[in-house]
Parts: sequence; C-alpha cells; structure tokens
Amino acid sequence: MKTDDTVHTLPVASAREVRAQARRIAARHRGPLFCAVALHALAAASGLVTPRLLGGLIGEVSRGTADVTRAVVLILVFVVAQAVILAAAVYASARLGETVLAELREEFVDNVLTLPLATVERAGTGDLVNRTTRDVDMLSRAVRQAVPDTLFAGTTIVLTVGALILVDPLLALPCLVAVPVLWAATRWYLRRARDGYLRQSASYARITDGLTDTAEGARTVEALRIAHRRTARADADITESYQAERYTLYLRSVFLPICDVAYVLPVAATLVLGGVFYLNGLVTLAAVATATLYVQQVIVPVDVLLYWMNELQIGGASLARTLGVRGATPARASLPSPDTGDGRVELDAVSFAYREGHDVLCDVTLRVEPGERIAVVGPSGAGKSTLGRLVAGIEPPTTGTVTIDGVALADLAVDDLRRRVALVTQEHYVFAGTLRENLVMARPSATDDDLEKVLKALDAWDWVAEHGLDTAVGAGGAALSPAQAQQLALARLALADPQVVVLDEATSLLAPRAARHVERSLAAVLEGRTVIAIAHRLHTAHDADRIVVLEDGRIVESGSHDELVRAEGAYAALWRSWHG
Amino acid sequence: MLGTLAGIACIVAQALIPAAIGVAIDDGIIDRDQTALLWWGAAILALGTVQALTGLLQDRCGLTASLGAAYRTLQLVTAQATRLGGTLRKKASTGEVVSVGVADITQLGATLETTGRFVGAVVVIVVVAGIMLATSWQLGVVVLVGVPVMVWAVGLLLRPLHGRQQHLREQQADLTTHAVDISSGLRVLRSIGGEAQFSRRYRQMSQRVRGAGVRVAGVEAALDSAKTLLPGLLLVTVVWLGAESVLAGRLSVGQLVAFYGYAVFLATPLRRVADGADQFTRGNVAAARVIRLLRIEPEHGSGTTPLPDGPAELVDPDAGLRVPPGRFLAVACATPSDAALLADRLGRHTGTAATFGGVPLRDAPLEQVRARILVATNEDRLFDGSLRAELDPADRSDGLHAMIEASSAQDIVEALPDGLDQPVVGAGQEFSGGQRQRLRLARALMTGPDVLVLVEPTSAVDAHTEARIAQRLSQARTGRTTVVFTTSPIMLNAADRIAVVVGGRVVTEGTHQGLRGDARYRRIVAREDEA
Repeated sequence: MKTDDTVHTLPVASAREVRAQARRIAARHRGPLFCAVALHALAAASGLVTPRLLGGLIGEVSRGTADVTRAVVLILVFVVAQAVILAAAVYASARLGETVLAELREEFVDNVLTLPLATVERAGTGDLVNRTTRDVDMLSRAVRQAVPDTLFAGTTIVLTVGALILVDPLLALPCLVAVPVLWAATRWYLRRARDGYLRQSASYARITDGLTDTAEGARTVEALRIAHRRTARADADITESYQAERYTLYLRSVFLPICDVAYVLPVAATLVLGGVFYLNGLVTLAAVATATLYVQQVIVPVDVLLYWMNELQIGGASLARTLGVRGATPARASLPSPDTGDGRVELDAVSFAYREGHDVLCDVTLRVEPGERIAVVGPSGAGKSTLGRLVAGIEPPTTGTVTIDGVALADLAVDDLRRRVALVTQEHYVFAGTLRENLVMARPSATDDDLEKVLKALDAWDWVAEHGLDTAVGAGGAALSPAQAQQLALARLALADPQVVVLDEATSLLAPRAARHVERSLAAVLEGRTVIAIAHRLHTAHDADRIVVLEDGRIVESGSHDELVRAEGAYAALWRSWHG
Repeated sequence: MLGTLAGIACIVAQALIPAAIGVAIDDGIIDRDQTALLWWGAAILALGTVQALTGLLQDRCGLTASLGAAYRTLQLVTAQATRLGGTLRKKASTGEVVSVGVADITQLGATLETTGRFVGAVVVIVVVAGIMLATSWQLGVVVLVGVPVMVWAVGLLLRPLHGRQQHLREQQADLTTHAVDISSGLRVLRSIGGEAQFSRRYRQMSQRVRGAGVRVAGVEAALDSAKTLLPGLLLVTVVWLGAESVLAGRLSVGQLVAFYGYAVFLATPLRRVADGADQFTRGNVAAARVIRLLRIEPEHGSGTTPLPDGPAELVDPDAGLRVPPGRFLAVACATPSDAALLADRLGRHTGTAATFGGVPLRDAPLEQVRARILVATNEDRLFDGSLRAELDPADRSDGLHAMIEASSAQDIVEALPDGLDQPVVGAGQEFSGGQRQRLRLARALMTGPDVLVLVEPTSAVDAHTEARIAQRLSQARTGRTTVVFTTSPIMLNAADRIAVVVGGRVVTEGTHQGLRGDARYRRIVAREDEA
C-alpha cells in the first residue's frame, strides 16, 4: 500500500443481487432442477408408505386377522423402491450442484481477472485471497451438502404432513403444537448464531495467526527478548476464544433442549390425543399407529433442516462476497483507440492525492521523448512510485492530464493500455507452473528461441537452462531466489514489449553489480522504448539520459547526470556521498 | 466424569422412549385405559425432557474438558516455541508448529469430548439388549445381530467413498492453489497479461473437479441408498417376525412398535462406538506430535560466568574480528553468507568462540548475552499488534520518536491513518520492503542494547534515505558499540572504521577513504567506476 492510507476492501453483493443470481441459476438449469426435486419427492413419498402399511398391519394384527405375508411383501417393495429412487435423486442433485458450483467459481475467477488495476493495487491481496479460499470453500460446502439436504428434508416434511392429513386430518392436529415452539426457537437462534460462530472462527483464526507469528519469528522473539509478549498474546487469544465458545454454548444451551423437547412433544401428543380419539371412536387404531410412526419419522428431516439453516446463511454470505467481486469490475470505457504511436509521455500540471488535501504529487509537468530513458530519484515518500503508477495508467490524476502519444490513459481498455505501457515493481511474483508458462503469459506467441534470447540478455539463461524451461516453479515447485524471480519479471516485461516501460525499483533485489549489468542489458533489449526508471541505486541514474529529482511531490531538479553534478544541487550532494 | 454420567443418562433416556411408546399403545390404547395413556404420554415427554437436559449437560462438560485440554496445550506449545527461539526453525517447520497448535489440540479436545459419548453408547447398547432379550429373545437376537451387520456393511461402503473423497479434496486443493495464485499474482497478471491463459487453465481444473465431484456423488448415492435399504430390510424382518409373534400371542402390539423403534435407534450408539475407537487412535497420534514438539531442546545451553559490566571489546577469534567498544564499525564481507554467519557468531545465535571483555559468550548466561548484544537481520519478523508496541519491544516509550527519526521512518508513520496506533497485520505485508526495513531498524535502535549488530540494514532503501540513515545512525548510537554488515558505500562512509572480510577472515581494516585504493575492498563495494 506504500503511500496509500485507507484499507480498501472489495464490495459485497446486496441481498437482492444474491437472490437475483439464485433465480438466474434456477432458470438456467430448469430441467435438471425439476428432475432432482421430483426424484427427491418420489423417494420421500415411497418412504411414507411403509408406516402406513405398518399401521394397517398393526390394526389388523390387533384384531387377530392379518395377511402378514402380503403386508410384508408390500413393505419390502416400497423399501427397495425408496432406496433406488433415492440413489437417483442424490446423484441428480449432486450433478446439478457440481455444475452450478463450477459455474460460480469460474465466473468468480473471471471476474477477479477483470478487476480494474487500481482496485487490485489498493485492495491488497488479503481480502481477495480470503474470498478465493474461504468463501469459495464455504460455498462448495453449502452447495454440495446444505442445499440438497435441505431440499430433501423440506420435501420429506411437506409430504409427511400431507400423508398425515390423508391418514386422518384430526391426527395432523397434535403435531402442530411443535410448530410455534420450533419456529420461535429457531428464529431466536439464527439471529444470534451467525455472529456467534463467526466470532468463534475469527478467534481461532487469531490463534493461528498468533502462533504463526511466534513460530515464524521465534528467533526474533529470542533476540528481542519478547517471549512474555507472545505468551500474553496466546493468553489473550485463549480468553477471547473461550468467551466466543461460551457464547455459542449458551446459544446451544437454549436452542437444543427446546428442539429436543419440541421433537418429543408431537410424538406424545399424537399418541395421547390419538388414543383419546380412538377411545371415543373418532379414529381407527391403524390410523393412530400410522400417525405416531409418521411423527417419529419426521423428526429426522426437521432436525436436518434446522441443522443446515446456519450453514445456508453462511453459504449465502459467501456467495454475496464472491459475487461482490463482480460489482467492482466495470471501470474502463473501451473507447475505440488510435494506433499505438512511438511512446511519447506527457504529464501536464499533474496533481494527485489518495486522500483529499494530502497531495502526493503537486503540479508535475514532464515530457518524455520517444526512446528517452528517464531516471526518477528522490527520498522515500517523495511521490516517485505514485508518479510511476500514474504513467502506467493505474491511477488517474486528480487534476491535470497524463497522456501517451496524446491519448489519455484513463480512457483506454486494459488490453490497449498494456500495449502502450507496463509497470514492473520490486514486488515480484512467480506463478505455480513451468518456467515457460511464467514467461509466455506476457506474449503467448513467443517461441523457445524468443525466450532464450530475452533470458540471455538478462543473464538469466544459465540458471534457466540448468533447470529447463519445463521445470515447475512457484508454489509446490522449485523455489527461486528473489533475484531469479526478479529476472523472470523483467523477462516478462521484455516479452510484453510495450511502448513505454515503468520500472519501480525493479532490480532492487539483485546484487548491486548484477543489477547494473541487468539494467544495461534490459536497456539493450528495450532499445527504442521509452523507459521511466524509479531509481534505488544511483548508477541507474548515472546511466539514464535524463534525471528527474523529486522532493515532496515536486520536481526540484532535472537534467543529465553531468549537468546535475555541475549544478551543485541535491543530486550532486548525494552523488558525492555515494561516490566517496 | 459428570459429563460421562450425563452422556449415559441422555442416551438411556433416548433409548427408553420406544419402550414407553410401546407400553402406551398396549396399556393405554389397546387396553382402553385413558389414565394409563395419559401417564405414559407424560412419561414420554418426561424422558424427552431428561434427554434434552442431560444432553445439554454433556455438551457443557464435554466442551469444558475439550477446551481446557486444547488451551493448555496451546500455552505449552507457545511457551516451547519462545523457549526454543532460533532453534525452532532448525528443528520444526512453522507449518508443523501451527498444525500442532491448531489441528492437534482440537483433536485432543475432540478425543476427550468423545469419551463421554463412547461410554454412554456402550451402556445403552447393553440396556437395550437387555430389554429386548427379556421381551422376546428371538426378535431380540434378530435386532442385535442385524444392526451390527448393517452398520458394518455401511462402513464397508464408506471405504471407496473415502478414497474418492480424498481424491476430490486433493483436486479441490489444487484448484484453490491455482485460484490463490491468480489472486496473489494479480498485479502482475493485470499489468503484463496472461489472463486468458490463466482463466482457461482454471476452467480446465475446475471442470476436472466437477468430474471428480460427480464421481463422488455416484458412490454417495449408492451409500445413501444402502443406508435406506439395509435398515429397511431389517425392519421388514422385524415386522414380519413380530407380526407373526403377535398373531401367535407371544408378543403384544405395543412391544412390536417398540422393537420397530429399537431397530431404528440402535444404529446411533453403534456408530458412536465405532467413531469413538477412531477418535482414540487420532487422539493418540495428535498427542504424539505434541510431545515430539515439546521434547525438542534448545541447541545453546546457558553458562554461568557473568559478562563484564560496561563497554567491552567483542572479539571473534575465528575471523580475527575485533569490535572496539563504543565505536561504529562497518564490516564489508565478500559474500552475504559470510556476513550472516559472522553476525550470528557475534550474537551467539550459533556455535561460537567469540568473547566479550575476555569472557567466552558460550560460558555466559544466555539471557545476559541476549540482553547485551542484539543481532538484527532482514529476516526478523514484524509481529501483529500496534506499531507503537511493535517498535518498542522493551516497553521504554521515551525516545521512540527520536529512533523513528533516526531510521528515517517518520514518513511511514505519518502516512498511516492512525499513526503509531495503526495495527500491524500479516508480518507487515502492507508495508513495502524498504518500509519494513526501516521499521525493523527503528525497533532495533529502540531496544538499545550495549552492542547492536545490524546485517544489511539499508539494502532495500533508496540512496537519499540511506544517506540520511547512515548519518543519523551514528548519532543515535553515540558512545555505544554498533556493528553494521554492509557493502553500500554510503553506509561504509559513515562508519568510524571498516573491517574487510574475504574467505571468512578479516583481510584488512581502515576507513572508506583509506581503503579506496585496496582492490579487494573495491571488488566488494559496488562502485560506479568498476561496474
């Protein structure tokens, strides 16, 4: 974030957008969705026949006149039917779930890949990585388990109540006693559970972070003698985690006993009231037995339904966060852009502030000729990196204009912008994949010969050849040193070959002598391109056509190395302390 | 203990419900006794309430036991990590420590929590078996043999499922890694290109995961089907034999309903017994990992000879390096690994023959060595917490602004919305490399040790800032010993004296001006004219 001051997070989709997306998904998969629901309903329905047959059998047996074999065979038939249909239903809904899930995550990644540059730069990677891992995982869990289970449980409940009414509407009445209790208890619980469990998992995340810090920095802990701080931190995390656990325990202490009693209540009520009805000749014994079995049987799906409620809420929140990334997307108008020119950069009276009233750059005017190599030097916080970001089109200026070949950068589509200008910073990144994949991303048409040429120019061919272009690098692959990673980044840049190149301390991780050599080679590779190098070491400045000294957001000196040394200004003083 | 009792009471109450329903049907409905019906209805409700309350008690006791064990272990692991210090990274990876401190302690807790359920399940199986055998031994035997066979058969089916689930999890993990890769490298992707390539690859992997998911669903469907079919078959058998028995007058209608209930119910305690066995095994493995970590001993023992008070000369005989007290010495090493090793020896972070005022560091109390000599490197971590606390490890508070000024870090603090109260997160990843380096320097200065050893403290800082730091550093450390390992001419120029190390030995000494003519020195120090 360097000079940026506020932590920007990516947006979250509203409840309305989430519902709209759910409707779109349902509409898109109308056929398979209908099929899955119908199969679940059929499976649940065949499960309801058994208690009915059993109830009938009990009625007959109690009268001493039963065709046991016929009833048993019928029950057997329906048990087998339910098992077979259930298998089909589970498979159909899982298939649908996997398809929807794949669509959601692919869409998410595509949205991530079109995030505007400024958003990416400002939001940092933490929030994004979190959404990529945690939220996509949560969503998977919800779609794989919560959705089909609730679907099945819901259908079963509806059908069971229906069957109960079919047996005898009178006997459906007792089970209604549980409804208001469960409804109120669930409502109370769900209102609190989400925050409670979020706090609980956040407390565990803090424990993990704290322990990672302690383990990763164990030597620092020893050197600075701050072991007491680490144990205090662990104790504080434990206290917080205990409080969070106590709270969710309290929620469960209220909710679960109510549910448990509420589950038994209809069983007892059906039995007693049904018994009374039977004794008064209002219903048959078979009906009472069937109803009791139904009410016992419906406990399981009700429990499943309540269990997944929480998970569905979490899944919904995760969906909102993954969809939120799309909300950040549309930024650049893709105006028809003129052909690329020869790389003339012009900044005209440019000011820039991340925060209103805190100008990082003030009234900067700079003209860079095509093919010219400019070095920008100055103390930290002078606005060098911000200048680089403006020239690279990542941030638009607050006032004034930044143009390349007369085109305002803010108006360009990303693809178009990239052909004109690229920024390489000291922050390097190696992608998981082969060395070749890490390079050709900048120019998909590049041949191995092209790669070799560029890598040789950057002194990187020796170690690359030693590994081979097909070596896996990045996470899970061979580890590259920071200097090697930086060479890769520069090679990518050379392959991308834009009109204007902005290097923000792009060689700072190389050893000083190697850095200078690489910079010179890079200059040869980029012959004819306009280069704006934000310099970390003075030799970069020495080699440039022109040096711009930036202090407090203003250009205070500008000229060639020799001119500036003669001018006896800030640069000359610095040069002497360096040169010794 | 209380938890175990509660667990037993809970599951027994649950087990008695089918029996109570059976009696209610027999005595109340079939015998047409309304009072008995009401009483038995009340009994069912009472059993439900007992089950709910004891279940709650078991949850509470289980959680207390499990959290107690987990938290205590976490404290032990944290204490061990800080006790081991630099030794830790050599003996165990961070991942190992964190997985012990998070996953294993959770497992230990879960194992303890299971104990109550396990005992309860065993008790209830015995109780239910007793009730059934007393009612009708033929049907009792069918249920008692049928249920375990059923649970075993389902367990058999679970195995291929676990295999495929494992495969799915692995593919899913790969997919996540790829997505994280995209998110983490997004700056590069967006500025250089390659989105289409990454999107295509993600889609391919995502579709493979979808395929694996559907294959898992195939097994799951079969399993769910079996879970319905097998108990169904058992129920059919019970109903068939039971109905015949009722007709023959050996069994009452209510008892038949009760048997039906048990055939459904028994699967739960049986599964718990199997789970319990599994949990014990895992708990053992977790405990073994925790113990392994706690057994590691620090590599440097502590001596007893006290270090001399006041400034004294620090000497490393292996390199022939003498650090004069109260001065600013720069050490220019030909290779970075020489610098790191020599610095570690001066601070006794590795085996060393170094002496302070004639006392070998290895004979002195380690605590005293750490208090007097601080070795600060670029690998040092910035910890989470407020920046103010982070920069002031010794809780001194005064002089903080001066040290921030000396490290030329005031612009970093000023740019933060909450200034010094801004929380540092994720090892200071929000700061750039140069910013982190300056913050670490401020922290080292703030610690204020008698001897401060800095390894390449300005390697990621621009020349302007470095010049400022070099100048202020000697002022901030006036009268105290400072050793800076560096190859930067700006830093070297600010030192009182420079030692040049080639091949692990001091080859020459002098000042920046005086050494300019020395070829070995020039080769080490990257200067304009040679590059």
